[in-house]
Parts: sequence; structure tokens; C-alpha cells
Amino acid sequence: MIRLLGSALLALAASAHAQAPEDAAAWRAASRLGYAPTPALMQAIAAHPRGARGWAADEVERAFAASREAAKTPAHLATLQGSIPAAFAEFRAEREALRRVRADSEMRPSPQDLPTRRSALEAASWRLLACSNPELENPLAARLTEFWFNHFNVFAGKGPVRPFLGHYVLHAIRPNVLGRFEDLVLATARHPAMLFYLDQAQSVAEGMTGPFGLARGLNENYARELMELHTLGAEGGYAQGDVRELARILTGWTVDPSAESGFRFVPRLHDQGGKTLLGQTFSADGEREGQQAIALLAGHPATARRVALRLSQWFVADAPPAALVDGLAAEFRSSGGDLRAVLRKLVAAEAFWDERQQLFKTPYEFACSVLAATGQSEPERLAQTLRFLAGAGQPVHGWQTPDGYKTDARTWLAPEALTRRADFALAFSRDAAPPDHYRRFLSPLTRERIAQEPAALQGMLVLASPEFMHK
Amino acid sequence: MNLARRALLRAAAAAGALAFAPRVVAQAAPMLEGGRLVVVFLRGAYDGLSAFVPCADPDYERLRQATRIPAPDGSEGAAIRLDGRFALHPALAPVLPMWRDGILAVVPAAGSPDPTRSHFEAQHHWETGIPGRNSEAPGWMNRLASMEPAGLREQRLVGVGEANPRILAGELRARLVPRGPQAANQGAIGNERMRLALADIYAADGRLAAAFRAGTDSRMETARDLAAEMTRADNGAGPAAGLVQASRQLAALMRSGGQLRLGFLSAGGWDTHANQGGVQGQLANQLGGLARALVELRAGLSRPGDLILVLSEFGRTAAENGSRGTDHGRGNALWLIGERVAGGRMHGRWEGLAQGNLNEGRDLPVLHDFRAVIAQALARNFGLPESRLADLFPGAAWDARLDGLLRRA
Repeated sequence: MIRLLGSALLALAASAHAQAPEDAAAWRAASRLGYAPTPALMQAIAAHPRGARGWAADEVERAFAASREAAKTPAHLATLQGSIPAAFAEFRAEREALRRVRADSEMRPSPQDLPTRRSALEAASWRLLACSNPELENPLAARLTEFWFNHFNVFAGKGPVRPFLGHYVLHAIRPNVLGRFEDLVLATARHPAMLFYLDQAQSVAEGMTGPFGLARGLNENYARELMELHTLGAEGGYAQGDVRELARILTGWTVDPSAESGFRFVPRLHDQGGKTLLGQTFSADGEREGQQAIALLAGHPATARRVALRLSQWFVADAPPAALVDGLAAEFRSSGGDLRAVLRKLVAAEAFWDERQQLFKTPYEFACSVLAATGQSEPERLAQTLRFLAGAGQPVHGWQTPDGYKTDARTWLAPEALTRRADFALAFSRDAAPPDHYRRFLSPLTRERIAQEPAALQGMLVLASPEFMHK
Repeated sequence: MNLARRALLRAAAAAGALAFAPRVVAQAAPMLEGGRLVVVFLRGAYDGLSAFVPCADPDYERLRQATRIPAPDGSEGAAIRLDGRFALHPALAPVLPMWRDGILAVVPAAGSPDPTRSHFEAQHHWETGIPGRNSEAPGWMNRLASMEPAGLREQRLVGVGEANPRILAGELRARLVPRGPQAANQGAIGNERMRLALADIYAADGRLAAAFRAGTDSRMETARDLAAEMTRADNGAGPAAGLVQASRQLAALMRSGGQLRLGFLSAGGWDTHANQGGVQGQLANQLGGLARALVELRAGLSRPGDLILVLSEFGRTAAENGSRGTDHGRGNALWLIGERVAGGRMHGRWEGLAQGNLNEGRDLPVLHDFRAVIAQALARNFGLPESRLADLFPGAAWDARLDGLLRRA
């Protein structure tokens, strides 16, 4: 193992040095802050007076501006324009319809025809388009939407979550990706997708009857994951008692099918007793208790460390330099959790540009980079991509548990990974080979070997090349 | 006594003999020739109290309402009597013959000594075999395979479904096979020209080259082994139906005559915090799928040395929560299926659900370390020596209270 890793590092270093330094930096900027260097992106980077580093610094500001504007959604993905009350109505109608036809198997619609499945498919399609088409979405905004969705993961397979997925992506995650971390936590905490996914919608004070006449008492699910995964981390210094206290603090936070936000606080369902979270006492104060608890968690030093580590792993290396993580955590704390300030610091860090810091693409990153490189976006191509991702173990919005997908090479550089990617590369290079300018990102060794093959195979080999597997 | 300490004592005792027969020691004997081991991991913590219902326990009725399984009365809407204390969820009826034939045994209160209620930490502990340690470590099945002699250890591990499960990860490469008909296709690498060109462009990067080599070998073998099997593959949807399909695939691969001996499967959908259901509903559907999957597995793997373990990272609360579901608990039922299993009975301690017996007043306690259960299985079924057990599960103790769990091979 050690021998293998050693030779891999040598080989990586060799291939990195084989590229012109400005090409290596451009590849890194476009593949890490976006998904792949499209011709337009390459032009913009080359035209910047301070090269890739200057482009990267500007890209943070452009992504911030984009995130504050409404997302662009193509007309054929109509459900993405829908409101939360409309999604609730769709969900209810579907349940009713299914109940009526349950007895009659002849009339049972196929799953693809169910409205909530269609809207979930549109949400997944938008994600792929946003990752691969810079005209539709700023590439860094798409990347950060991916990162923060994964951090605040919800699962399309859970029935009541499904109709709200698109809204969750576009309205809870996307506008906050470069805002204050606390706002991002709050936006997810109040969204029906999360309220349903981690059962917060049904958690009420002990002895109370819940909003649907069903629930009676606490449900700890959301409170636990809010601390373990969204903020402090498992080593963040809380105990089972804190989970229970936080669940009590959050009682009454539930869904409202008729509100535009989809959220309401129901005082009647709230636990009125005193609580102690992480040693801090909370006196009865209704909804504000939950807001204060989230502020406490979002601003906690353990949260700063966790967010800094995860961003560093995502943008720099599976095992990022400790100095980088410390620096980002310090920036997170001193800026009051300003994610834009943290990102500025990240793209200015030497570690970000250090060619020794390698990252192997996840299946999602690989698929998006193929879409971007070949400029393909037809519905059947998107459907094919979704199938590839399901087979590769990374279906879009399809991770069942709240920890989200892992992003490291240890997870994704499995034996079947490269053979599946070769299949995908083959399918996507049949009609549209990547543009010729990709060749300059390849090492001379790869370039020469590919040149020996017939033209019809060359596009596939570029997309499956070792250089293309890394970002 | 601590396994490591026993191993040390034994090693000290053997030191004299060692000098006389060094070759015997240097050349490890294969353990897994006579049988196969399949681990079925129920990710998300399944509710063992609904699978093996403590129907005679007066507290069961007090703790469970919406999720209660009615006591056995012979009807379809009630649990099926197993013994004086426990009854089987009716959705698990397909495995009842295994219980009656004496090849299914259950340890009803097993679990990890580490008290975490985090799925992810607990799964990591179960898969590495090292409770309490969250850092990177190889999976215990991978370490088990590495105890086989060179030449055999490289081809022992196989998993169906997950992209890269921790339990199989480590020094040795596992064969990881996708679920469903695509497993039988060779795809792009079926074209020799493409395969050779790809091998060449990956050659300079050791990590990619090794993965690609393993991936092409695995895919070509799998395509060959499954060619016949896949013609009858169903197209079931959902986690439970998927598990049935994966079980069929795994059994076919392990039966095909190769060296594969250690198999892994998993299914999600067990984290029933809300609307868990009772005789019918969410959990019942999951259990029904599991039962069908186990029948498939057992049909394919029915040699005397074959063994199936069914486990989950922890149990669920003894009492229902406010959403007609159950929250994260501690102890849980661990199943063993195989001819050497002393089946048709519950094993180990059981103290009931009275308030005073619950962990933190809410969960079934962990009365047996899961590693001690697995150690029994590996020692009795595969003859794994104690020194090896100590390497596999450092710090775990041999649990003599489980000594009757398996008949010695």
C-alpha cells in the first residue's frame, strides 16, 4: 500500500510537471472552482491580468453575486418555479390518487408518472445542467450548491421530502452558499424538505398531540444530526443529554402547508420547561430558543473547525495541510461565519495552488466534467448521466443517510470506478468529442499514447485519461 | 480473559515447539476452504424487538403501541411463536423453516461496547471491528482475508451493491459488483484495443493502474459468472427488493467455483424514526424483503461450512417515540444462519424490558460484545485460532457464555 501510494505520488508529480505551469493552474481553477475547463472558461482565465489566481479571486465575487439573484431555470423544468404550497398540494393529490387506485392494479400509474417523482427528476436534471453549463449557472455557485447540499443532505427516496427537493436546492441552499453560515443552517432547519427528512415536523413536547394528530412526544432525529453533522461534529463535545435538550428546544418547529416559507412555529406544541444545552440555560422563549440554539451551534469553535476541514478536503486534498484548516477556521470565527470571507481566504491560500495537493474526482464530479467538456445537455444524456451516477454509487439527491456522500479517493477509487467511467466516456464521446484544446492538459506520455489510436477512440481516451480523473 | 493476553500466553507456551517446526508456522493454512461467510448489514439500525418479539415480557405491551406485534394466536396478523419468550414477526415467516431446522440462532442483546448513538460512528466501529475508534482503519473482513495464505487471500472478498463498503476495504482488493443486470456487461473494456490503450495511459500512475487492473479482472470474471444468472434477474425496486436481487447475485458469484469466501451485502431503510408500522407497514415491508433475501442466500450457500450473519449498528429504543417510531438505542438481535449453528434457540443473556434493566432507562442493553459473537463463529466454524482472533478484534474478550452458539467443526 505504502509502495503504491509512493509511486502514485511520484507519477502525479511527474504528470503535473509535464504541463505548463499556467495550464496546470488553469486546470485546477476551472476543475475545482467549477467542474471542467470549458472553452469560454479557459478564455476568461487566460485573459485575466493575474491569470488563474486573479480569475479565482474574482470568481468568488461573481458566485456571490449570482447566488443573490434568482436561479435561472430552463422552461422545460417547469416544476422548479413552483411554490411550497403548490408542492404540498401536489403531494396530497398524489397520495389521494394512489389511495384510490390501490385496489385496482390495472390503473396503478408507473412510478415515473407520479408528479413528485417527475419534480424530483427535474431537480436532479437542474443540478446536472447547472454543473455543466456556465450560461445557466455560475460554476462556483454550482460547486458550492453541491457542497452545501451534501453537508445538509436530504434524501429523494423519502416520500414527503421528494416534492420539496427542487425548492430546497434553489431557495434554502443556493442563496446562502456564500452568506453567513448561521443563515444557511436556519434556512435548512425551516425548510419542509429537512423538517420531513429528519422528522422534526413531528417532534413535539412530551404528552402533546402533534400537527397531524399523530405525533405524541419528542423525536431526537434532527436535533442529533444538527449537532453531529451540520455543526459541531461527532467529536464536538456534546452528550446524549444535549441531544434531548436540543430536541426539547426545537419542539414546535414544524411545516405549514399554506405558508410560502412552508414553516411555522406552533407555541402549543413547544416544551415550555427550562433547558440546558452545552452548559447554557434556555428559559422559555418560544421560537427564539431554537434560533438562539442554532446561533450557539453555528458560532461554536468546533463548528468552525468542522466547516474549515470539510471545505479544505473538498477544495484542496483528502488530507489537507493543518495550517490551511487552522487558517480557515480562524477566518470563520473572526468573520462571524461569513462563508464568502472563508472562500476568499481559501482561493488565496498557497495550499490551494500547490500541485502536490491532488484530488480524485467523485463520480458526480467526473460526470459533470464530461457534460461540461462535451457540451451535451439533451434530456436523454441527462437521463443516462443519472443512471451512471446511480450505478456508481452516487445518485443525485439519492444518499439515504444525513451524513452525505464521502468525497475522498479512498471511497471512490474502487476497482469498478475506472471501468464504469470508461463506459461513460465512450458513450459521451460518440457524438461529441471534447474540444482539441483539452490535449494541452494531458501529459506528453498520455498525449502520445492517445495519438496512436484511431480518431474515433481518441475522444473517449481523453475523457478517461488519468488527467481527467483528477481535478 | 483478554484475547490478546490469551494469545500471548499461548504463544509463550508454543515458543519451545516453534523452534522444532518453523516451517509449519511460517506457512499459514487456509481457513476458509471448507466454508463461506456472508455478512448482511442492515444499515440504519433495525428494530430487533419487532423482528424477535419478546411477546412474553409484560413490559413489551407497555412500551409499544403503534409498533406492537400482537402475541402469537395462530392468526396471520400476529407474531409466530418461537419459544417461551420470543415470537417472530409475521413478515419473517419465510425464515421460520430455518429456525425449525435448527440452523437459525439469535443473540437477542448483542452490540458494541462503545455507547455512540451515531449511525456513522457505530457502523465504522462494526466494520473495522474497533469500537470507539473513528480514525481510518481497514475493515475486519479484509483483515480476515489477509490471514489466508498468499495466493488465496487475494481472491477472497466480494461485495454486491455498495461502491466501496468499509468492512471490505483495506490492503486486499475486494471484488465489488454492481447490483442488477449491468453486472453482466463487459462494457468498454470488452474491446481489447480500448482496454490496452487505457492500461497504457494509466500505467504511470500506480494507484490508477492498480484500480484499473483490478476493475477489468473483476468485471470480466463477474460478467462470465453471472451471464446465466442474470437472465432470470428481476427488476425489483426499493431497498428490500434490491437486497433479494443482490443476494441472488452474491450467492451465484460465491458458488461459481472461484476462491471467493467472504461476502458482503447491505440494505438501508431501517432507520424508522416515524411511522414504523406494526404487522404491516414500513418495517414489515423491509423485514419481508430481508426474509426473502436470506432464503435466496441460504439456497445458494448451503454447504455445511457456510455461515450467514445478519447485523446492524445498534438497536432502537425499547419505547416508542412521539412519531409512532423508535429512536436510536443500544443492544440488538444478531442472527446466525448455518448448519454448524446451534439453531432453533436464543443464545446469551436476556434480562427483559423492565425499566430497571434498560440502558439509561430507554434501551435494550448490550449484554454481549458483537465481536465476541463473531469470534465464536470464526473460531468454531472456520477454526480461526485465538491468536488470530486477537489480531482481528484487538481488545475484545472471549465470551464463554456464548460457547454453545456453534457446534465445533
